[in-house]
Amino acid sequence: MRSKHQKPTRPTRPRGKRHENKERNRQAILKAALDLFAEKGFCQTTTRAISRKAKIAEGTLFNYFQTKEDLALYFFEQELAQIIAWYQRDKRIRNAGLPEKLFAIIHRLLDRLAPYEEFIGAVYLRALQPASRLSPLSLSTQEQNLRYLRFVREILAEAAAEGEIPDTGDLGAYGFALFHLAVITYWLQDRSGGKEDTLALLDRCLKLAAHAIRKGGWDW
Amino acid sequence: MFETGCPCYPEGGLGLVKKSSGALHRGLRLGKLGLSLTGSYLGYQAQNIFLSEEKRDQRRRRFQTQSSRRVREELGSMKGAVMKLGQLLSQQTHALPEAAISELANLQMHAPGMHPTLARAQFKSSLGLAPEDAFRTFEEEPFAAASLGQVHRAVTREGKKVAVKIQYPAIRTAIENDLKLLRSATFPARLTGYAPADIIDEIQRGFLEETDYLQEGRNIELFARELKGFDFLTLPKVHWDLTSERVLTMSFVEGEIISRFLERHPSQALRDLIGTRMVELYYTQVHELRALHADHHPGNYLFQPDGWIGLIDFGCVKRINFDASSLIRSCVGRTWRQGDKEAARVLRLVFGPRIPYARARKMLPTLEVMTSVLYPEGKDADPLVDFGKAQSLKVLAKTLKQALRDKVTNPEFAFISRAELGLFSLLHQLNARVNVREIWRRCDRGS
Repeated sequence: MRSKHQKPTRPTRPRGKRHENKERNRQAILKAALDLFAEKGFCQTTTRAISRKAKIAEGTLFNYFQTKEDLALYFFEQELAQIIAWYQRDKRIRNAGLPEKLFAIIHRLLDRLAPYEEFIGAVYLRALQPASRLSPLSLSTQEQNLRYLRFVREILAEAAAEGEIPDTGDLGAYGFALFHLAVITYWLQDRSGGKEDTLALLDRCLKLAAHAIRKGGWDW
Repeated sequence: MFETGCPCYPEGGLGLVKKSSGALHRGLRLGKLGLSLTGSYLGYQAQNIFLSEEKRDQRRRRFQTQSSRRVREELGSMKGAVMKLGQLLSQQTHALPEAAISELANLQMHAPGMHPTLARAQFKSSLGLAPEDAFRTFEEEPFAAASLGQVHRAVTREGKKVAVKIQYPAIRTAIENDLKLLRSATFPARLTGYAPADIIDEIQRGFLEETDYLQEGRNIELFARELKGFDFLTLPKVHWDLTSERVLTMSFVEGEIISRFLERHPSQALRDLIGTRMVELYYTQVHELRALHADHHPGNYLFQPDGWIGLIDFGCVKRINFDASSLIRSCVGRTWRQGDKEAARVLRLVFGPRIPYARARKMLPTLEVMTSVLYPEGKDADPLVDFGKAQSLKVLAKTLKQALRDKVTNPEFAFISRAELGLFSLLHQLNARVNVREIWRRCDRGS
């Protein structure tokens, strides 16, 4: 079932050469920044080092990203687009059961975040400050939040159409988004080898939740 | 309610839903316990309970009235998670009485199934690379359940067929948590009525050893080294480069499990041959290796039409610390008939030094019966033991169970008894006739 909410991952604009160049620079800066974050850590990385690595003048860099927070926002935007594209491409996962689908979405993101754990941790701390541009309540994150929520809502709606769960509407998507944030927090704290505790937690929570939704609640 | 065939019975209404709610309720409560962030093995078990109930639910919708009776029977026989752990306790020791013993031969530890994405994630988390990068091909769907995980077929980059055993994530932590719970003041008494600290230590050692696939790999190599004289025996070979604590990659052992093997109606000669070989393997392990492949689950023996035997799953290997050779020598010669002194010596082997002779000697008739089946007496007696005869198995099972039930039994002996029980039940299914005494003599001379 394809709903009317489905949209391309980026807003459509006329895409000229200038836009392409801009996008290429953005990507180059992000890649340089991520490499440096992984190598030196988020706090130790200076904008000068990033601009040098990306081979872009420091002044130009500020045209693209004014703060490290902007860089982080762009990073998440890219990751979300990647995940949506992967999900739509991967036929097997689209035919899997709902707990596996949701597991795969969260796990795939964690897998991609793994090399930048310290960066993500730092970003998380900043996002907790209400005034931060990274806060889930800030206007700058709204576009991405909505894209994410639509994506999840559609998956839940498909599962409902196939009778796997009752229709959960927007609430289901919001619930999952909160759970997703909680899992990332847990993952950041997870000190088990290979972060296998996160895998177990994720698997069991999703199975239990799918069961509970199907039954209309936990019958403690 | 649904016996009437009504497709829209109310949830939580009469009949099955109501009936299962006790187990489900208990399961969910334990599941909640298991939801604590570090997890609980009991929690996993509980999850299994209600997830399987869920599957039953789906099936019920499909078959409606036809299956209702069967479904209810299944639910009726469903055991709670607590009981399950109790049975597991009894597998390791003799902590639990009768109820558990009847299921001893078929016990295994179970972990919840993993969907392909989770299995892949666990593989990558443990080895640092994804299965599709590690192997030429990797089958996403498992072909067998293993203790604590599942087994996938794969082909290595060099083109070798392998079996890849993947452990459910964080099961070790979960078991550790349960054992902490078991050690707490109130739990053991409630669970088994009898679970002293040293027994829990023993369980912990055994369980945690089983969660370490590197240890299992070393077990395989030990057995391969010590049993290499048996040219009919196939053991897996460990691929150490693709093995970790939680992933075990080993060569694929060909063969069929007993039930499928029997569907081909193997000749009596072949059955006898295989039976003889199994007994030979068993005695060699007990007397020469002094370590035993302790999981006599039927799925761990694979058979081939030419009489080859494949032995797999070395997670549970038990070192033998008591003088089993001396005990069997005494059984074959019935040395306890020589007088009280000798009888006391034999019984000490069985019960350990703590049990007074007066109490232990009650066991003598049981020993007599058992030896008369395994090592027939007298020159004219047919030395072949017909394991296919229900009577033989019954006598053996009864005496062993009696020995197990007696809480004073030496844990070492109890352990061997259980292994024997598993072996005998396999031999019974095979309908094999085996000259046990002759095999024992060969092994005894050899050692």
